[in-house]
Amino acid sequence: MLATIAVVVISLVVIALIVLVVFRWRSGTSYVRTRNKMGVKSITHVGVSAEAPKVAAAGGSAPATNITSAGAPSGQRSRFFAIGVIVAGVFSALAVKLFGLQILSSDSYQREAESNLYTTVTTPAPRGVIYDRDGVPLVTNRQVLTVLADADVATNSNVILRLSALLGIPYDVVRARILDSSTGAQSQRVVAKDIRLRDAAFISEHRDAFPGVTTQIRSDRIYPYGALAAHILGYTGTSSTEDLKNVTEGRDIEMGDAVGKSGIEQSYDDVLAGDHGTRTLITDASGEVQQVVGESEPTKGNDIYLTIAAPVQYVADTALRELVQGGTGTAASLVCIDVKTGGVLAMANYPTYEPEHFIGGISQDVWDAYQTEESHYPLMNRAIAGTYPAASCFKAFTGLAGLTYGFADATKAWDCTGTWTGFGKEYPQKCWEHSGHGWLTFREGIVVSCDVVFYEIARDFYNARGSIGDEAMQDFIKEFGYSALTNIDLGGEAQGRIPTPEWKSEYFRDVPTEAQWLPGDISNMVIGQGYVLVTPLQVARAYAAIATGKLLRPHMLKEVRNSAGEVVVEAPVVEDVIPDVTEANYQIVRDALRGVAVENDDVSADFSAYEFTFAAKTGTAEVAGKQDFAWFACYAPYEDPRYALALCIEEGGSGGRTASPVAAKVMAAAMEYSNGGTIEYKKISVNTPTPAGGDEDDG
Amino acid sequence: MAELVEINSVQPRDPELSKSYRPRRFKYMNIPFLVCFAALVVYGLIVQFSATSSDSDFNFTTQVLGVAIGIVLFILVSRFDYRSLSGFTTFFVVINVVLLLSPHLPFIGREVNGANSWIRIGGLSMQPGEFAKITVVLLAASIMSRYGGRLDDLREYLKALGILAIPFLCVMTQPDLGTGLVYLCIAAFALIIGGTNWRFLVVTFVILAALVVGIFMLDPILDGLVGSDVLLKDYQRSRLLVFMDSSYDLSGDGYNLQQAKIAIGSGGFFGKGFMQATQSSLGFLPEAPTDFVFCVLAEEFGFFGALVLLALYLGLIVTSIRVARNAPDLFGTIIVICIVGMWVFQILENIGMDVGLMPITGIPLPFISYGSSFMLVNFVLLGLINSIWAHSENNPS
Repeated sequence: MLATIAVVVISLVVIALIVLVVFRWRSGTSYVRTRNKMGVKSITHVGVSAEAPKVAAAGGSAPATNITSAGAPSGQRSRFFAIGVIVAGVFSALAVKLFGLQILSSDSYQREAESNLYTTVTTPAPRGVIYDRDGVPLVTNRQVLTVLADADVATNSNVILRLSALLGIPYDVVRARILDSSTGAQSQRVVAKDIRLRDAAFISEHRDAFPGVTTQIRSDRIYPYGALAAHILGYTGTSSTEDLKNVTEGRDIEMGDAVGKSGIEQSYDDVLAGDHGTRTLITDASGEVQQVVGESEPTKGNDIYLTIAAPVQYVADTALRELVQGGTGTAASLVCIDVKTGGVLAMANYPTYEPEHFIGGISQDVWDAYQTEESHYPLMNRAIAGTYPAASCFKAFTGLAGLTYGFADATKAWDCTGTWTGFGKEYPQKCWEHSGHGWLTFREGIVVSCDVVFYEIARDFYNARGSIGDEAMQDFIKEFGYSALTNIDLGGEAQGRIPTPEWKSEYFRDVPTEAQWLPGDISNMVIGQGYVLVTPLQVARAYAAIATGKLLRPHMLKEVRNSAGEVVVEAPVVEDVIPDVTEANYQIVRDALRGVAVENDDVSADFSAYEFTFAAKTGTAEVAGKQDFAWFACYAPYEDPRYALALCIEEGGSGGRTASPVAAKVMAAAMEYSNGGTIEYKKISVNTPTPAGGDEDDG
Repeated sequence: MAELVEINSVQPRDPELSKSYRPRRFKYMNIPFLVCFAALVVYGLIVQFSATSSDSDFNFTTQVLGVAIGIVLFILVSRFDYRSLSGFTTFFVVINVVLLLSPHLPFIGREVNGANSWIRIGGLSMQPGEFAKITVVLLAASIMSRYGGRLDDLREYLKALGILAIPFLCVMTQPDLGTGLVYLCIAAFALIIGGTNWRFLVVTFVILAALVVGIFMLDPILDGLVGSDVLLKDYQRSRLLVFMDSSYDLSGDGYNLQQAKIAIGSGGFFGKGFMQATQSSLGFLPEAPTDFVFCVLAEEFGFFGALVLLALYLGLIVTSIRVARNAPDLFGTIIVICIVGMWVFQILENIGMDVGLMPITGIPLPFISYGSSFMLVNFVLLGLINSIWAHSENNPS
């Protein structure tokens, strides 16, 4: 701005000087000629006043015209000079300003003119397909015939009437959909989706009757197996302003796009999403499209292959469903993972939902119904987000801690009388077997799941806290991935909890009387009760670690393939931790778990139909105000472990009795699958919960 | 061939003698002046052809018709001896008042955009304010020529100022500030060339400037007190604000200015080419054929085209000033300088508003803007200048 003013001022001065010189020169030359040409005809009568001279000549000729005062001629000249300066000033100011606009800042104005001119609108791209590990499509796309209309069709009532009649949609609805500018001012508006082929053909054949209306094939998500693996796959929703704001690099989200909202759809959203097709348009000032200058087709996103095996998943899903619908428990969750890779073979939850119901958005009523206590939260992926007391399944790890710190060994024996008073008579603690187990070794303690054996180990840890610290046991257990995220490639994971003195004082900072770390806290923790919270996935992963000695990172992704079918990403096996445990101690625990499988009557009966060997642990968690939660954890085959499985049934009662048969069925399916057997699987249907206040419907 | 020779042989062979047989009038044609103005008119038609092509409200044929009638008027006025107009001061005052107040009359007056600037007689619409420019020029010249090139008397000065203010006050009743400023500019040039004492001019200018600033400052206060627009219309205020800060209101006048700048700036050095102006053809540029016609020119022909236009204007003005200096009397000189003053102001205001140098006001660009009224006025004024040139040597003493 200052520069421009300076340029204007300087050029004004320069022009003024030039004008001055020119006028001086002319006064000496041309005017002499002019004067000569005009001779003495310089005096005339003008207007009402008396004779007034017109003095055309300048300088030396002045005295010759002696009627007016002598000052007039030079005055006349200076006035012409003033006019000249004004003219020069105006023209140079304009020229300088134009130079600035058209030469100096031309580029930026050209860009602005182009952004005025061109508008780019996008067409959504089909998302990639999600397959199971063997290429069974779990989520695919469906071609949907869609009727699209330009925005200005809203003003053409004839066309709206015809569309309304053809598609059977009320006039006002058609008009409202065309007026909806949420996908962009110049975008074509979706009038109807999933129309009949002959209606689409009718529109195409009668273009004259439907100006500005086109039909297009777009794609919607379709779930060939219904609710199978619903929590893993997740669902998509229309992009929200939030999504547009928090877009990750390399991902291009437009208003109205389908965006993964949960599960794999969410965690691999950028992989699954394709590239938008674009239409470059020339629009006028009022936004009307004048010309389409360029068009590119959308490209489909990459395909994802999961580690899930659809047959095993089907068995797991249906087993949990039959269990809970059969009246055992209120909800259940199961995870089966490959102990060598960390890949999840099956992850099932009940209650569940059908992702297909989320296509095109679900009503607020239904959404609210999904969030009620009575519905038991079907949208929740309990396997990673459900936190439960670990109960006796935990004894494998607290036992390993005792072995590692020397508070237990293969030969040491303990006496269980049913009631334990190791922390003083005023603090008695009971074994689950109130009559007592008598004298027990470590192996027998795990097989019958005697609490007293572990109370003793807990007391030894407590007494030794001076030398090994008061978090020695917790630190050991955490090596098996508890109280931490497993970092599985699914969103919404809970990390669970292993109580420590530090945690307790922080947790109860507002209730100082409760904040102190007590001996009872460690004796409750040792049997997986008290403040201990774990997820089924953590348990399955930790049992896999017992089986192999390595804590692997669980994952759902097997590989990503591009549109040409080439593998572009392969999920690596990630060893998160190798717990500091000797092979001998592992062997003691594995042997004890094998003992559960063989010597526990309930468990061995459930698995008796199958040939494979396995190691297992049952658990029965006490939850305040609720029935006991049933736990079962196992891995198989015992000699050369392939899969680890964890199952938790909310309010399912005894782990040995209710959880064991389900786990047996699923593990058998996994073994059958890995041996190349065929298992039948088909679509699973689930009803949506009835919205509160709505009509009762049989579920 | 032989016959031709015979015909030629009839002509007198003496060159001196044949010179005397030529029509006398041709000798007094001011060739550079005519070339400049013809070039401007043609340039204007070229730009209008493009500017009117995308807007059905405007008709290129009408513009051509205006030019055709203008040429006839130019020839008629050129032949007319301007000196016979010198004694009609009172008559010009009356003509001005009648013309400028005519839009207020019932039946013929028409209100457009909140201003009574148009009249309609039969099927013909016109702006009397444009035609009044001719009589304002003549009025200013006839007054100022009385003083014989020297006005040192304050009473006389105030008298002249008073009469010159009449057309301005009349046009402000419409109201049309843009045209009013043109009249003021004509009056100012008449005062300068008419020999007014410099001190009077400076003091008048300072008082006027103070008045403008005062009105602008007082306006919101008075509006608040009275509850309605008193001195300035809201849109006039906002135009001035936009001029001072173009980001002030991008949807209204700020938008117009921004689009005008984009049109001009995107033209670059050689422009986008004839009929290739996207800013006007797609409607981003408002009023492309009239107020913002320069933007069309600058977008299609670039900096080069804009400089050619400025050069043609400069040529016209310089040749006109030459006519003024050679005029046989002060009346003729003042007429020409007033016309020059009008052009300079309209060029400055019209191009200046497009590039952000001046506030936005609807003033046409001479010879280029769409509109027959102003085209005819310009041809009449050109005819006057030509008449002054023709009579400067042909002066019967």
